[in-house]
Amino acid sequence: MITRFLTEVRVAFNPFSPRSKPARLFLSLIPADARSNGMLVQSTMLPRTSKQNATLGVKFKDGKEMNLDLSKMRITEVMEEVDRHSRTLARKEELSGN
Amino acid sequence: MPPRIHIRPRTLRLRTSAPVSRVATASYASVAQVKPTPAPAFERGDRPAAPIVLYPPTQPPSHKRPEERKTQLHRQYQSLLKSSPLMLIFQHNNVKAVEWMSIRRELAIALRKIDAERVAAGQEPIADQIRIQVIQTNIFASALKVVEFFTSSELPTDHPTDPRTATSARVPLTGNKVDDERFTHGLSRHAYEVANDRKLKHDLEPLLSGPLAVVAFPQVSPQHLKTVLQILAPSAPDFPAPKRKANPDYYEPAVQSGLQKLMLLGARVEGKVFDLEGTKWVGSIPGGIEGLRASLVQMLQGIGGSLTSALEGASRSLYFTVESRRMDMEEKENPKKEGGEEKKE
Repeated sequence: MITRFLTEVRVAFNPFSPRSKPARLFLSLIPADARSNGMLVQSTMLPRTSKQNATLGVKFKDGKEMNLDLSKMRITEVMEEVDRHSRTLARKEELSGN
Repeated sequence: MPPRIHIRPRTLRLRTSAPVSRVATASYASVAQVKPTPAPAFERGDRPAAPIVLYPPTQPPSHKRPEERKTQLHRQYQSLLKSSPLMLIFQHNNVKAVEWMSIRRELAIALRKIDAERVAAGQEPIADQIRIQVIQTNIFASALKVVEFFTSSELPTDHPTDPRTATSARVPLTGNKVDDERFTHGLSRHAYEVANDRKLKHDLEPLLSGPLAVVAFPQVSPQHLKTVLQILAPSAPDFPAPKRKANPDYYEPAVQSGLQKLMLLGARVEGKVFDLEGTKWVGSIPGGIEGLRASLVQMLQGIGGSLTSALEGASRSLYFTVESRRMDMEEKENPKKEGGEEKKE
């Protein structure tokens, strides 16, 4: 997963729901030094009884925000969604020669 | 010179009807220490000949190859789950080795402080046994299922070494085959089948995915739980992180960046599953188990005190009457004695 264009990641999930697996895996895909490089990672743990769906909010460097409902997605689909915008950003960066 | 007897060792060797491949049956960690039990003696008479046991008593045949790391981890996790009534489950997201090291150091220091208080109060120290340990998630999930759902079939009541066993009893011994259902250990084939049963669901199962670490406690000690929560998952009012002045090492970048990547998911307390709130509730029991015990003892002592005084009342009054009667009699006897003595003098 391309994580260098992410500035903010907000995850909320109930760990006792089997549908929250992609949310937890997404957190484990964030590299070890991302937080020290300025990425804001916020994870909210919902109580065990809550029926709320797991959600993921991502902000990119160009200001685009993406809100995903993770209850029906697999982790590969989540990665695809996030990477789609990251790739356009990477192409722009490459063309501008930075 | 005695006659020489030629012994051909090959004829004495145990014969199997069909050549068995080593891979299919040899599932013992070391075959070197195997001492096959001797063939049954003639004195046993009507008892059936016990099958020759081909494995050492400490190493019954296991389903998967026991020399593999996976198998040993499975066994280790089973014993961890059985021996620790309180266990916290964390998710760790790419925590570096340096960060693990500093987190472990802080945890050990804080726990040792608590233990010093316990030792002063005359209790056993347990800090050395509380460690944060990264686990292999899938093996742990399988071990959890074995621990929760695998109850070995009822033990054979007639054991050959039990003196109560009748001499005519037919002793069912476990065979040498792996698929014998009488094996009671967690690595047996029966246990494996239980662990692979998809119909059996445990409450903890949804937690067991992704990178996990556990903190296992040898006993339910809310004091230690509180300390661990303060270090690993601090939350403002009830479980505050140690103050910067009191513990400057805790605010090192390595510790703090490591702690950001640790997430407390839940806990397993005496077989029950608790979420974050439940875990905090267990950690906030005042005075720990000793506090609960002390209040219980106080309550019971109040009852016991009144009960003993009520029961003592009758015997005490009896004692007093008998004692006063004895005093009376002694008084009556004594003047005579004194008189007698005086006469002698």
